[in-house]
Amino acid sequence: MKESRYSSRLMWLMLLLIAALGFFWSGTVTITNTSGDWFSGAVASVDDVSADEMTAGDAELKLVPAPKPTRADYPDIGVSSRSIVWVVAQMHLFFGALVLAVPLFVLVIELLGMYTGDSRYDDMAHEFMKISITAYSITALFGGTLALSLFLLYPDLMAYLMRVFGAQMMVYAILFFLESMVLYIYYYGWDALRYGNAKWVHLSLGLLLNGVGATLMVTANSWATFMMAPSGVNEVGAVIGNIWEVMKGPLWNPINLHRFIANIAFGGAVVGAYAAYKCLAARTAEARAHYDWMGYTSNFIAILAFLPLPFAGYWLMAEIYAYSQQMGITAMGGILAWLFIIQAVLIGTILLAGNYYLWSGMSRTEGSKRYQGFIKYIAVVLVICFLIWVTPHTLILTSGEIAALGGSNHPLLGALGIMPAKNIAVNLMLIFTFMSFQIYRRSDKVATVSWEKAGNALMVAIYVVAIVNIIFAGVYYGYFTNTVYKVGSSVMQVVSTLTVIISGVVLDAFLYRGAKTLPSHWGQVSNRAQYALFALPIAFTWLMALMGYVRSSVRTHWHVYTVMKDTSPDNFIPTIGYAGNMMTIVTVMFVLFVLFIFWIANLSGTKQVPPYAVRKVPAAERAGDAA
Amino acid sequence: MIKTLQIWLAIFVIVSLYFYGLDHFIMSVQGLPLNMDLTPAQ
Repeated sequence: MKESRYSSRLMWLMLLLIAALGFFWSGTVTITNTSGDWFSGAVASVDDVSADEMTAGDAELKLVPAPKPTRADYPDIGVSSRSIVWVVAQMHLFFGALVLAVPLFVLVIELLGMYTGDSRYDDMAHEFMKISITAYSITALFGGTLALSLFLLYPDLMAYLMRVFGAQMMVYAILFFLESMVLYIYYYGWDALRYGNAKWVHLSLGLLLNGVGATLMVTANSWATFMMAPSGVNEVGAVIGNIWEVMKGPLWNPINLHRFIANIAFGGAVVGAYAAYKCLAARTAEARAHYDWMGYTSNFIAILAFLPLPFAGYWLMAEIYAYSQQMGITAMGGILAWLFIIQAVLIGTILLAGNYYLWSGMSRTEGSKRYQGFIKYIAVVLVICFLIWVTPHTLILTSGEIAALGGSNHPLLGALGIMPAKNIAVNLMLIFTFMSFQIYRRSDKVATVSWEKAGNALMVAIYVVAIVNIIFAGVYYGYFTNTVYKVGSSVMQVVSTLTVIISGVVLDAFLYRGAKTLPSHWGQVSNRAQYALFALPIAFTWLMALMGYVRSSVRTHWHVYTVMKDTSPDNFIPTIGYAGNMMTIVTVMFVLFVLFIFWIANLSGTKQVPPYAVRKVPAAERAGDAA
Repeated sequence: MIKTLQIWLAIFVIVSLYFYGLDHFIMSVQGLPLNMDLTPAQ
């Protein structure tokens, strides 16, 4: 009865929210005075007004170029403005990524719990949300601080962006309210909407939450991509398109996809660290088993989302090159190129830690003995590929070192420091990481289908031919043909890797249908495996700080690339050392905040022992307390 | 034994053909056709 009352209330609330959204999107609301269709007319176009109606003065008024601030127009508060915005923006992005990602996989886990009828999934999903809910407040606090910092320190830039994006900023604010409301209902309504039809209402709320969250993300992404590759404006930055033309720049969708996938991997890694922390601190075997399972699930999410991420990154870089070769070369061939070597170190750390966790986790089941022999070969391939990936093309040397070497080039660096070698290495690392996953998932099962041998032969053949194809494409097209074929062949390599991953998942689903399951002992895993789960979010955080910096720095001395110059005292690309320190500062800050969140999440489940339980209290006093 | 060998060989041939066709397809949709021996046709 109580359940149906809750579900009916929430159903009404959802209908109301959907109706409100539909109303805003219907185009009947006039927010700007320039056009009846507020969404497309949020930024007025000269085309919207006929030539007869528009006077020369009107046209001048509407086609306002981007501002050209002088150095004196930037407020000086005694500290580097860029550093302040750098730290605050990065913290906001870290927490924003976490908050948007966690509900995505929570919804899937909740759905899984409903289909399997296993309440452990539901409990785990709820616990994941507990982390997200605390992080949400911190996200909002950093978001507010970022907005204030930007308006204070970069007033001309913000005034220009406000003019370009217009009412879309208000849509963002409305979405933020909606996100907050749905998030709190979703989290606090968990137990009230746990069974029967009410569960469907709860799942629908989760879907709505993710829909709003994704819309928030792509809206904010359009601001960043406009600054990198402006669209809907002319060569002096005057707005000549509608808001859709402004948002839909050449880099918008590549960034949307890249951030969407990266957020899931990042969110999985952070909640994995929470599970590891709880697993190490567990005082009972039951709690240790629960958090071990939670850590495994988190690692599964993080690594599975991470596998396609390099491909989204390739797409983004390809679009950056297509938009501006100069920008692409600044990123991968200029001062920022060395940061891609650091990126390789961090991604290598993630893959090694993720693989190590899986190999350690195989000790949970006796069936894993069948596959343990593979581990050393996987490790050798991963290490060799890692070393190739971190090989730079050129070295940063002193004059003495150059003299000793006879030049700044080395034959090995020439061959291994370029993209064909790195493409082979990356794809092989991904394939062998998937192999670790596959043998881990197979280790507690015995196939019972009649075509088991043929199925295994097919899987082996796919691995072998895909690996040969990747090496062939990298070596032949990379070193012996022209540049166009070299670049085009990287798609062959990507598709080969994806073929392995997709066919592996599909084949195993059929091969292990009705399989005999061997017992798994959750909690029976080394503490070292839990430390690997700590390594993942730290490497992910550093990686985000690093590549976020690269993405932003490719604008060089422009606020908005080619249309609004940055004339502030910080209008230069800082040294790698300085940038490295900034990234480290934000990473350490994020880790400290995450520890705070873990502590808060733990605190909410801690109950103080009543005073009379630890000392002898007269019955009269206890009665008084009770009253 | 011979049957097992035949199965493995057949599977390897099928998978190799699949990847061979895939290479041609992926490169041609990018406007980069290949010859039969996988050398660039342009």
